[in-house]
Amino acid sequence: MASRPTVTIIGADGKATGATEVLPKVFAAPIRPDIVRDVHTGMAKNKRQPYAVSEKAGHQTSAESWGTGRAVARIPRVSGGGTHRAGQAAFGNMCRSGRMFAPTKIWRKWHIKINQGQKRFATASALAASAVTPLLMARGHKVSTVPEVPLVIDSSAFAGAEKTAAALSLLNSVGAGPDIEKVKQSKKLRAGKGKLRGRRHRQRRGPLVVYSIEVDGKDLIQGFRNIPGVETCPVDALNLLQLAPGGHLGRFIVWTSSAIKELDSVYDSKKGFFLPSNVVSQSDLTRLINSSEIQSVLRAPKGEARTKRGHVQKKNPLKNKQVLLRQNPYAATYAKEGLGSIKETGPSPALKAAFKELLNE
Amino acid sequence: MSLPNVSADLIWEITRGQNAYLVSRKTAPHTQFSRDPLNLLNVHSRKYAGYVNDKAIGISPNEKGGVTVISKKAGFTNKPASGTHTVTYGGNKTARKTYKGVANQTAKSGYRADLRQVAVARASAIRKSQRPVKATPEKKLRGPAAKRAAEEK
Repeated sequence: MASRPTVTIIGADGKATGATEVLPKVFAAPIRPDIVRDVHTGMAKNKRQPYAVSEKAGHQTSAESWGTGRAVARIPRVSGGGTHRAGQAAFGNMCRSGRMFAPTKIWRKWHIKINQGQKRFATASALAASAVTPLLMARGHKVSTVPEVPLVIDSSAFAGAEKTAAALSLLNSVGAGPDIEKVKQSKKLRAGKGKLRGRRHRQRRGPLVVYSIEVDGKDLIQGFRNIPGVETCPVDALNLLQLAPGGHLGRFIVWTSSAIKELDSVYDSKKGFFLPSNVVSQSDLTRLINSSEIQSVLRAPKGEARTKRGHVQKKNPLKNKQVLLRQNPYAATYAKEGLGSIKETGPSPALKAAFKELLNE
Repeated sequence: MSLPNVSADLIWEITRGQNAYLVSRKTAPHTQFSRDPLNLLNVHSRKYAGYVNDKAIGISPNEKGGVTVISKKAGFTNKPASGTHTVTYGGNKTARKTYKGVANQTAKSGYRADLRQVAVARASAIRKSQRPVKATPEKKLRGPAAKRAAEEK
């Protein structure tokens, strides 16, 4: 590549400011949904807190089996009398008020270790995917009004963004409005017990605002945090859970111009990590097939492009001349000499007269 | 801008299993449809997936009758706001002119000749749906029922 692709910086009014920024190298990283998905499943598990049923649950009785010969199952039964509980089966996972099958333990393996290299690969991959409009649309983001992807907004436009009204109007003017509207419309009551556990509603994710702490400061967090679906993230602490929610590539990211400027240095500062490179330098199949390198080594196709039907179909010799000639070679001479179109001329007048004379004799 | 790490083929492979436009029913008969506005057949397939292909055509009914044709501008994939071209063929335009316009827009100058027929078919179906519905004529009575009705008069 002779010149690296650039991205235009959009002003607060949603129009290009005229300034451009060279696209950071991360955006050329390979897009690997398999790695992103695997790393995401691991990372999503790391927020879990242990839970378990009580160690004693189902075992707080002195039940003993009655043995054989009492015409009841040999399961332990509650001893004593005077209450309905006496004589009821206990302990088993099939019993009422018995212990559950394989009681959950707090020492389950809750957290997953993911190699740092893999995490960084996945993050780079998710970032690269965030610059591909079709992937954003396939994730469900409403980006048809966005002037450019990746969407980079001049850092100066974020000056008043510590107030939510200003932050919202900024997002609206740069074309992120429909995506926020989609989030607003999507808020639904969660199905199941999660409602009682602090997860009452579920809604879509909107744009992610990535900023640089040094230049943009932390004030804009306050402005954006109450807009439904909008999240903020500092550029030096990018998080895969935000970059690829659900393990699906293509989060809609709103960059501040200083954040995108800083992104290259963020990756340069990661010691011992090199941005992953693409295995194939050209992923467009049609371009590969039609390239002169490939076309020049292909041998010419055999036969015609049209497949000939052998003796599959009976052809009509009266209509198809070639078939007629195959069956009747004389047809050629017949047609050439025009034998078919010779008018039948009756006997000559002289012959007629002679015949009449003969008849009269 | 087009980075070498992305291509329509790759995007299709990433999104063919799950995407926001896909409507999939697992019960037999297993069906897969697409809600993509740039999909002419509403079918989930590589050829008709409008969000994947650089060049794609979408035809939708126009509010005031007729059809609206949207087409993607090739090379504008990373500029969504300016990346589509919209043409409206109003309801008063003759069918022949509408179809000709749709066909030319789809197939001419190396756009998507493979989509011409389905594009015209979709435009035609939309136009057909916009025609006023004729009231069904009242049923004439036949046979014994007719005789009875005549006697009552």
